[in-house]
Amino acid sequence: MTSAQNQIAARLEGDFAAGQLSADGLRAALEALLQDTARRQDLLYLHATSTAPSASVVAMTLVEGGAIVAPPDDPDDWPYQSALDAINDGWRVISFPNMALLALSADDPHGLGFEFILEKWS
Amino acid sequence: MAGVLKMGAARSDAAPKTHDCPATLTDTEVLDFCKNGYLLLEGVVPDEVNRLSVDYCDQDNYYEPTSILAEDWFHQHVICNPAAASAVRSLLGPHFHLPVLMSNHRVEAPFDATGWHVDGNYQFRPELNYLQVFYYPQDTPVAMGPTQVVPGSHLVKNKARFMGHLTGIRGAIPTTAPAGSIFITAYQIWHRRGQATGKGMRNLLKYFYWRTQPSARDWIVEEDFDFATVNYGSPIASVVEQFRADIKVAEMFLWLCGRHDDFQNLGGQSWPLPAHRNGAPYGLPTGL
Repeated sequence: MTSAQNQIAARLEGDFAAGQLSADGLRAALEALLQDTARRQDLLYLHATSTAPSASVVAMTLVEGGAIVAPPDDPDDWPYQSALDAINDGWRVISFPNMALLALSADDPHGLGFEFILEKWS
Repeated sequence: MAGVLKMGAARSDAAPKTHDCPATLTDTEVLDFCKNGYLLLEGVVPDEVNRLSVDYCDQDNYYEPTSILAEDWFHQHVICNPAAASAVRSLLGPHFHLPVLMSNHRVEAPFDATGWHVDGNYQFRPELNYLQVFYYPQDTPVAMGPTQVVPGSHLVKNKARFMGHLTGIRGAIPTTAPAGSIFITAYQIWHRRGQATGKGMRNLLKYFYWRTQPSARDWIVEEDFDFATVNYGSPIASVVEQFRADIKVAEMFLWLCGRHDDFQNLGGQSWPLPAHRNGAPYGLPTGL
């Protein structure tokens, strides 16, 4: 499920657990879920400490369901700690780290470096 | 305090454009600034001045309320605040130039985070010829969206337009601070406005100081400070080649000491790399 679908499901579960799930609430949630079924490309930008797919991630951005999803504040709670983690969860790499970065002077570090861009269709 | 604060008293155009005061940072504190790219002074402005500043910004809600610089109470307790000015004096040398412009990042919470960026007209160099300073006149916990910075990122080149897709960066911190806090930064540090989930107005006053004199090690010198063995490591180390951050920090620190001409990096295991050596590091500039 996407983040949006998970949020809807969590809301339903919460209302159900509290004994507050009404027919209207259930219908509204189902409508929201059905509206969220259009397929879209999700993107995951992972900045790693090296070109290795197993290298630790130092920055991430997730575009899911047509929106940018803010990651958890604590990096240890990010959904993936390496590009390999994401690949093993079904993400496809569509852009590998740009080797032109290696041509830059070692004296002048630039940006966050090794950026993997991955996609999923949801 | 009430006697000091004379609402309406204004500085004239003939008022001095520079300021001097004792330099109170130590070697270690100056080196920490080189490592981190910022210095946070918590709660150094008196409460009454904070209240006056908030009131002023409520009246002058333009994004550049520059006329606040002409207020004596603001000049005395914020611009020339003893704790902040002595830190600025340590980093920029004597007779530093005072701000000529005031910006206010004034936003009604709740609000979303902005994108990561470096401010325009940045220069990624070891020199420190100016400082960007922020003043929070009200309490600014995480819920009020304080500025977030990436410690040490002043050492790593970037372009604002290349950063538009970034959201989560490991090591980034929110500059949460109580009212009256002043936050001194290297201009080119990567930063953004954090998300605010609370309610209310957040003012963030931003201004600038410039160096007017050549750099020199005229802050508080620590007798036991050892250029050979001190750790030059920066929190940005994880995103650059190994030891590159140490080298950048050492170069910036020597520049501040007025010794940039002596800076050298002879490669490999030479100074300023951290190591357990059997004597003085190879490549340590003479006279340090």
